[in-house]
Amino acid sequence: MIEKEEYIKKLHSYLKKYVASDPTPGEEALYKPVDIYNVPKKEAEEYKYKSIKYIFKHHYENNSFYHDYCKENNVSPDDIKSIEDFNKIPLIADKFFKSYPEGREFAMWLATLYTGELPSIVIKKKDDHDGIINKFREAGLVVTYSSGTSGKHTFIPRSQRTFNAAEYAIAKSAITMLYPEWEYDINGYLLMPHPFKTNVFAGKVCGMYFDVIKDVRVALERELSADLIQQAMQTNLKGRVIRYAMQRETNKIIDRIINWLRKNDKEGNKISFIGAPFLLYFVMEKLEKDGEYFNFGRKGSIVTGGGWKIYEDKRISTEDFRKKVEEILGIPQELCLDLYGMVEGNGWMTQCPEGHYLHVPNTYYHVRVIDENGEDVAYGEKGRFAFLDGLAHSYPGFIVSGDEVRMYEECPVCHRSTPVLAPEVKRARGSEMRGCAEEMRRVLSMDMGGADA
Amino acid sequence: MLREWKEREYIPPKNMVKLFVKGSFELSKVMLKNFTKLKKVRQEKVIYRPPKRMYEIPEYKPGMKVVRSDEKYLRPTLFCNPYAKEIIALANHLGAFEKEPYEYANDVFEFVKRNVILQIVPIDGVVATLKRGYGSCIHKISLFIALCRAAGIKARYKLYALTVIDQWYDTFINVDPIMREWYDAMGYFMLHGEGEAYVDGKWVVADVGPTPERQVASGIPITKFGDDSIGIWADAIPGGIMRTESLPLGMGFLSKLMMNISPGSIARMNNNVINMYEKGKKMLEEMGGEEEYMKKMGGGMKMPTMKLEKKGIIFE
Repeated sequence: MIEKEEYIKKLHSYLKKYVASDPTPGEEALYKPVDIYNVPKKEAEEYKYKSIKYIFKHHYENNSFYHDYCKENNVSPDDIKSIEDFNKIPLIADKFFKSYPEGREFAMWLATLYTGELPSIVIKKKDDHDGIINKFREAGLVVTYSSGTSGKHTFIPRSQRTFNAAEYAIAKSAITMLYPEWEYDINGYLLMPHPFKTNVFAGKVCGMYFDVIKDVRVALERELSADLIQQAMQTNLKGRVIRYAMQRETNKIIDRIINWLRKNDKEGNKISFIGAPFLLYFVMEKLEKDGEYFNFGRKGSIVTGGGWKIYEDKRISTEDFRKKVEEILGIPQELCLDLYGMVEGNGWMTQCPEGHYLHVPNTYYHVRVIDENGEDVAYGEKGRFAFLDGLAHSYPGFIVSGDEVRMYEECPVCHRSTPVLAPEVKRARGSEMRGCAEEMRRVLSMDMGGADA
Repeated sequence: MLREWKEREYIPPKNMVKLFVKGSFELSKVMLKNFTKLKKVRQEKVIYRPPKRMYEIPEYKPGMKVVRSDEKYLRPTLFCNPYAKEIIALANHLGAFEKEPYEYANDVFEFVKRNVILQIVPIDGVVATLKRGYGSCIHKISLFIALCRAAGIKARYKLYALTVIDQWYDTFINVDPIMREWYDAMGYFMLHGEGEAYVDGKWVVADVGPTPERQVASGIPITKFGDDSIGIWADAIPGGIMRTESLPLGMGFLSKLMMNISPGSIARMNNNVINMYEKGKKMLEEMGGEEEYMKKMGGGMKMPTMKLEKKGIIFE
């Protein structure tokens, strides 16, 4: 069996293009450890202290709105002398990233959110959101978004550097947990929109999949814009046409995946899936209906992310999903892992194969679980997921999310040294329903047998 | 006449018919299956006191301005008469023709959302709703639309079948076994809606249904003019959103019929709403108002303020 150090070194060589030549402390804390989920506690804390202190100072000094916000809260980088002081760092509610103005002011909003100077970006009067995003992209930035079920997206302006770090982090997180199963010579299926054709974060961040896996197929070749989703929900002719097309497309996707499974099974290839669980669920439902089963065993691995809603009225637990995977595809449950992340952050909480608890990459990512007054709750208690992100170089990544989690000081099942979140993450009461996978599901699962009007 | 009905969208769209047929079919099945239970529920006496109206209706004075137009989305439609004296008086009182359209529509939204209590009653006209001070979400939307149209602002209905968050499931669905079984059989709640007003060149959504007090009691954000309930406390069933100028014919009759199936269940629902309202009101008093509540909704965090900068941006 390949040594872990060798395994990660090999991965690093495939991810070289994402590595910064002048790494920040946060990036070092991501690249250097062999196993980011098993760094000795003291060492992890040293990494984390340096990462967060550096990034906080960077935003304090180079981002005017965050600087003012810190002043309002009477906090400056000098106040951060230990990890305990991290609680003083002002957090921004995730809703803030949805509170953008319309029209050309949207470009200014993105520019103000961005930490540091921007190259010249020419905005034309007719440019809409997508037009403005494309102008930022031409200038070398990566503006991604998520969650537009209510018509409002979360927009995050990332520099190429920050986006590279997010991609490196997601690859290292998943592949570390899958040790020693990953190798380059695998056939992969991406259950997300095409990374090079979308600005949806969950799709775009999967671009690294093409670098670490030999052959990648993409389930959804076209962009699923929020506009399309909204239109698909209308009762007019256009809405009906879109729904009909989507229904056909979903059935085709399912058939394509099944054919791909058959081919790889026959050829004895190693396979991997990454992406939204609902699509694979549909595939498994069809296989089950047709009485077709596979036995990929350790030749298969699955990394999921996104929502666990299958139909409007039906959710599936990660545990039930794993059982189904084992039953239908023959992939063992320890090779079916879920990953929790969000458009606002660059850290990926990844399930361990042993207990499926979500491990926090605590060398560069500081997680807090807070109550409604912004105070930390005790380990094991329910609260809002908040984080300080040592990799968010281009925007202040000190954020309170709308997700409800429970955090434990250590994993009750495996030996790894990081704090963990309980496997099921829910939206807190009153938080908007969200998730890239959820948006994709809303359109693709229409007419798939769920409750449909 | 048929052409006029069609043009004014009095004839229910296909989706709505489908929705009602499916709903009625499922309800009949549930009723047949639970005949004894239904009989028992129908015999139950539930004490119900409707809420008191929370406002005075301004006096109508001859010469008060109103926009009378036959244009789509401005004219009177079923259960929504913008030319009624009471509506004209209130529209003028709320600043129609004095305020900017957005400001006026926002004030109408706030008036309807905050002052008209949600109660399930048979569908009737906007004047009845205004005089009563309570009504279903459909009544509230009609009132919002009538007040907008009276001031010359185009307004329409956005109706859909929905799934709701747990807290509202408990208020409306979990109140009795028949209702629960019906909802569970369908997987969604049959009809809900919002208003939409056309201001500054676009349709702005108005979720007038829930009062802030009820939203507080449910632990959800207090929605403002422009905030959609979809994604916050409800999810529309894909393919189910219908935007119409009017409520359809037959809706009044159907709503009356539904009320008669199990009046006790409706009374229980209405009592739950009143209790929620009172609970939310108390919560707001205790926590120091809506601003404090919204702060807490943000995880205890203040929102940063942003002075927009141009940086490297050049506007052509």
